Amino acid sequence: MNDNNILSVRGLKKSFGKLEVLKGVDIDIKKGEKIAIIGPSGCGKSTFLRCINCMEDPSGGSIFFNDVDLADQRVDINIHREQIGMVFQQFNLFNNKTIIENIMLAPVSLTLKKIKKAKRKNFFTKVGNIFRKNKKELIKITQTKAEIVENARANAEKLLKRIGLEDKADVYPSTLSGGQKQRVAIVRALAMNPQVILFDEPTSALDPEMVGEVLDLIKEVANEGMTMLIVTHEMGFAREVANRVLFMDSGIIAEQGTPAEIFDNPQNPRTIQFLKAVL
Amino acid sequence: MELFFEHFITKGGYKVALEGLLATAEIAVFGLIIGILLGTVIAIVRVMPKYKVLPRVLDVICNIYVALFRGTPMVVQLLVGYYVLLPAIGLRLDGVVVAVIIFGLNSAAYVSEMMRSGIQSVDIGQLEAARALGMPYAMAMMKIVIPQSIKNILPTLGNEFIVLVKDTSIVSFIAVVDITKAFRQIGDATYEYVIPYLFLALVYLVLVAGIAALVKLMERRLKKSERQ
Ligand SMILES: Nc1ncnc2c1ncn2[C@@H]1O[C@H](COP(=O)(O)OP(=O)(O)O)[C@@H](O)[C@H]1O
Ligand SMILES: [Mg+2]
Repeated sequence: MNDNNILSVRGLKKSFGKLEVLKGVDIDIKKGEKIAIIGPSGCGKSTFLRCINCMEDPSGGSIFFNDVDLADQRVDINIHREQIGMVFQQFNLFNNKTIIENIMLAPVSLTLKKIKKAKRKNFFTKVGNIFRKNKKELIKITQTKAEIVENARANAEKLLKRIGLEDKADVYPSTLSGGQKQRVAIVRALAMNPQVILFDEPTSALDPEMVGEVLDLIKEVANEGMTMLIVTHEMGFAREVANRVLFMDSGIIAEQGTPAEIFDNPQNPRTIQFLKAVL
Repeated sequence: MELFFEHFITKGGYKVALEGLLATAEIAVFGLIIGILLGTVIAIVRVMPKYKVLPRVLDVICNIYVALFRGTPMVVQLLVGYYVLLPAIGLRLDGVVVAVIIFGLNSAAYVSEMMRSGIQSVDIGQLEAARALGMPYAMAMMKIVIPQSIKNILPTLGNEFIVLVKDTSIVSFIAVVDITKAFRQIGDATYEYVIPYLFLALVYLVLVAGIAALVKLMERRLKKSERQ
């Protein structure tokens, strides 16, 4: 396997009951790549994206993320999901949390959980050390709970400022517009410092006048070097941002190439047909 | 009437009544707390994904549990608990404690059903967003899904509390003096039952109305807090 690949998908299959949705998807993605995924509705784009972070358990094949096969049931998927952000069509901000809490919740809770675990481990190491000649080292815990919360808050405030919503920190999501919600959802993903972000039709649920602000933010994040996979119907956006476009059709990647190759000179008749219909 | 008030006030009848009221409140409140905690756990087990063996086994156990407690009258559960199970394991417990436990276990069966529909009424996207951020299932449920489902089922939980309060009137079966038993004792002492029992009914009415008002208030608070 090539070391440059942050993601390597091999023979990925997914069935829902008798319906085989993914019929063997293979792809290598290098760090920093921006992949746009296009294709007709129901061809398996969302399923493909959701298999990458195992929101859907693959029925077959492998998903190597930094050389760890996420499709392996023994892998602790939660640790890897922290590194794989996901942005949903329906935003999915936590309704019972304020905007800043939405951004802080995962970083804080997951760090606290790790510290708790480390403390428990240290306790047993200490007990064990009483009987050991070669004392085992303890896990260093460098931050107090208050510091973790403060850091997360500072980071969340910075992110909110970046999207110009610092005055919305303490309100609940129900008071935000769709575009604002989606921008918060994107910085919520960024707050985990992920290595990859998966976008599943991030602008499809938005009123037309709000599409621009969300696409602009995604472009910004892309320009900062984030690796991303974006399922989208915004062909202009795909052409502008993506370095590679995948055309999916009935559960496979039917054609892929640079935006110029796919949009200006498609080879597969299905691609030609699809583009004719949407452009 | 005078007889009742004389007994109630000058002969200390009110003390018995207050103690009875306390027992009633203890049983209903602690029963509800146990019911919500245990009922939530059962509900989570029942909505958990069932790929692995352990969740499936737990699910079967929870199903049996719920069927058992919903399929028998609470009086019977009290009697079995107090007169059959406790002696069988050689344990002696105060009647109030037994009542709290049985009310809690019984309530858990009902609350689990409410909580399950409450959980299912929360958009699946909420859980998915939490899981996608790396939160383990239990954390995502506790921090995101359960708080929202509790909000959704607050009125039904209020009803459950009201049912519990009214059902406490059966605990005299296991020798607990609740508010009902207290007023019966007052009646026994004066050979006059009309006034005590009417008064008793009034006490329950006031209790229930108070709870209903409280639930309404909480609902409005919660609604308001998320609109700011
Ligand atoms: N959880 C599910 N259960 C059953 N069928 C599903 C499920 N999710 C998706 N599907 C089916 O899989 C197919 C592909 O869906 P999806 O990946 O959402 O397509 P796309 O995102 O390309 O529109 C569709 O036929 C859809 O009905
Ligand atoms: Mg889709």
